[in-house]
Amino acid sequence: MNISLKPAETFRGDFSTRNSDAAILRFPFPFPEDAYMYGVNIEPHLRGGPSAAYDAVFDIDEHYIGECQDRALTLIDDPARCQVLPHMAAAEWDTLELLMESLSTDYPDLFQLTKKGDAWRWVNHPLGIDQSFTFGNPETLPYPPFEYITRQVQGDFTLQDQRDNNLFMDGGMVTSQADWSLNFDLGMSFHEWHGPVPLAHELAVFDRALQYLLRLQLGKPVRRLNWTLTVNPRLDTSPENYPLWGPDKATVTPENVGAKMCLRVELQTLTRLGRSNAILFGIRGYLIRLEELVRVKKFAKRMHRVLRDLHPEIVDYKGMTRYRQTILDYLAPFDDGAVLSSGTAADQASL
Amino acid sequence: MGMNKSRPVYDKLRIDPAGRAHLIVTDLAAVPEDAVQEDLALSNAECWVVGLSAPGVAIETSGNLRAFRAVADLLGHLSHRLEREPVGLRLYAAGSEAFLWDVMNLARQAGLTEDEVFLTQAGTLRRRVYCSHCKTMNENVATNIVICQGCGASLFVRDHFSRRLAAFMGVKVDAEVPGEVPEIEALYP
Amino acid sequence: MKARLQEIQTLAPAIKRLSLAPENGGEFPAASAGAHIIVEIPGPRRVWKNAYSLVSAPDERRRYEIIVRRVAHSRGGSAWLHDHAAPGQGVEIGMPVNLFPVAATAKKHLLLSAGIGLTPFLSYLPVLKAANAVFELHHCCRLSEVDAFRALLPAGEKIALHTSRNTLDLAALLNTQKLHTHLYVCGPEEFMDMAVASARKLGWPEAKIHRESFGGATGGAPFRVKLARSGLELQVKEDESLLEVLEAAGQSPPNLCRGGACGVCELPVLEGLPEHRDHFLSEQKRAANTAIMSCVSRSITPELVLDF
Repeated sequence: MNISLKPAETFRGDFSTRNSDAAILRFPFPFPEDAYMYGVNIEPHLRGGPSAAYDAVFDIDEHYIGECQDRALTLIDDPARCQVLPHMAAAEWDTLELLMESLSTDYPDLFQLTKKGDAWRWVNHPLGIDQSFTFGNPETLPYPPFEYITRQVQGDFTLQDQRDNNLFMDGGMVTSQADWSLNFDLGMSFHEWHGPVPLAHELAVFDRALQYLLRLQLGKPVRRLNWTLTVNPRLDTSPENYPLWGPDKATVTPENVGAKMCLRVELQTLTRLGRSNAILFGIRGYLIRLEELVRVKKFAKRMHRVLRDLHPEIVDYKGMTRYRQTILDYLAPFDDGAVLSSGTAADQASL
Repeated sequence: MGMNKSRPVYDKLRIDPAGRAHLIVTDLAAVPEDAVQEDLALSNAECWVVGLSAPGVAIETSGNLRAFRAVADLLGHLSHRLEREPVGLRLYAAGSEAFLWDVMNLARQAGLTEDEVFLTQAGTLRRRVYCSHCKTMNENVATNIVICQGCGASLFVRDHFSRRLAAFMGVKVDAEVPGEVPEIEALYP
Repeated sequence: MKARLQEIQTLAPAIKRLSLAPENGGEFPAASAGAHIIVEIPGPRRVWKNAYSLVSAPDERRRYEIIVRRVAHSRGGSAWLHDHAAPGQGVEIGMPVNLFPVAATAKKHLLLSAGIGLTPFLSYLPVLKAANAVFELHHCCRLSEVDAFRALLPAGEKIALHTSRNTLDLAALLNTQKLHTHLYVCGPEEFMDMAVASARKLGWPEAKIHRESFGGATGGAPFRVKLARSGLELQVKEDESLLEVLEAAGQSPPNLCRGGACGVCELPVLEGLPEHRDHFLSEQKRAANTAIMSCVSRSITPELVLDF
């Protein structure tokens, strides 16, 4: 797979990150219809989908280096963003094995993995890493195995222990979250960590999702999409740092909404792990400024309609009350009312 | 004990007939009558309370009742007891929410599961609040907004509870427009 | 997954160990301790799909090993494996599925097995050892097979074999466990029922009792099944399951564990009385007789009508 990696860009401070045309066209748009409501919306995670973002098991894109650097900065500031409870040691190695095998298969020019029994060698060209180690022996890696590999992959990850007919979030690397705290939620059961989400409980969405996930099979991962809005393409929108990014929300004006307001989409994957029988939850985040998004005509129109008709409790829960009207005013001129195709494909090959 | 979202819902104390031995602990001087089911036979269960006493005065123990000077003392003894206890014990806790989950976390460390530990909220409804920004625990919070003792932020207490931390989540209420703090309501005076 | 039989070893007159390798070289996915695989056994007239616990170390990706007891009154799968399987043969297997995992939060693991029920514990042992976990294994078997089972187990004071010559005092064993112990039971249904009942009586909570769905009686009286949606009428013979009949008829019924434990194969019942043999449905659901687990359950009435 050919990707042009950007050598450096920031997702804080001056927010130098930009999406190339290719990145805009492959963006995983989350709305298959003109209206949005919660549902279980899980589908098999097979290679291939409505855009190139679905082609690999774990997607690497042009922002790889910048995102890894941003993660490293966040971890210096707050090491509690990566924690794994002691009984999850097997799941750490399962994760390392899965990510190394997937990345080296999907991006053989960027990553190489060679194994001789337990003696493994991992080469990560973009980050300049060449690491020989013994699989199963944490002393042979510079970080614990889960932290080691997730520092080299885009997106957040959590580890779910399956026991007592339930799932427990017993580990995670969470540096690009949409406003939830690993340190607070660590150890919670499935319904507990979903506690704050409105409406979905009444719809029994979580009961059905949990029953489905308890039966998740090895070799048959699944995926779903989640979305929110973020002011500035900021990866770390954690509760911990809310005092830093909160004030940005009050700075949105009709003049800057196109540049500042970002659609934030999470391509979430759920994968059964081998030795631990745990579930790896991947939260791969994508950010796109509205002024970039609207260059895809279908996305501009559908975005307008979804936000215009969104349930007020969802508007409130996703924190967009303050600037929803400004966004609608910006998007309205792009929406000519035309009938749009179902599904999330861009329906155009160039911008 | 029912679970709805993350906020626990508590039932009254009822002895589990499947248990072989029963131990009740509370952070109060006695288990309140309205925290228990009417037909509860407390007599054959052991009961540990936190009793008030003057320094130097012996703590009374009679039959199945044992009084401790403070919660910390009770929890220390509980840990010691659970390390040596055979399977079959059922543990019941009555008291403030923070006390309940401190007991549960200690019990879980010792190897007890959720079907062996029963929690009932009694006495104060005040909450322990975790500051998301500086990780300080703020105890006995009676209001919906509290000033963090660690970093001074005005924290809104979210309806999101961590059993592991035995606390509610506090997040800066005026992060978006600093200084714009809503009216503080006394919820649990 | 496509696999190939590598080696077959006779451990006792009715017990064989089979080792499988990936068809095209490479590695199998790593499995978890307690996992089983479904093995498709190609018989002369039909294909059996039997579940077998992996006995190899979970970390071993080059080989999967299973142990098969030739069941006297089986529906044929195990008999065919004993009589006809040979090294070099290709075999289709499912991905490992685990309905009997080691409780990662337990501080002591008390393992209790009888007969062929030892097999999942063989995959537990390397994992428990590597983690320096505290455990005890008590295995009960016939005197005639004790040597075969002993050969499968490492020596150690934490592993005890019980026969009619040194019976197991289960109540004493259960009574002296500290409260951080989890109990795992595997063997014939009656053995597990007895062990679980003893534990419950002594105050063990459900969350600390783990049982594997294993080695129960299969087959039973034949019955008719009518599929309401297509009108199709099928016959379920003595030695086949409802699930197998539906599959043979090209119906694609949902299924996963094929052992009555996971709930995926549940089908709605419109008429007739199911004979419930599963471990999934609640008491109320069983009494209502509006659902059946097609992989293991049968019928009390001569006919069942399914909304399928």
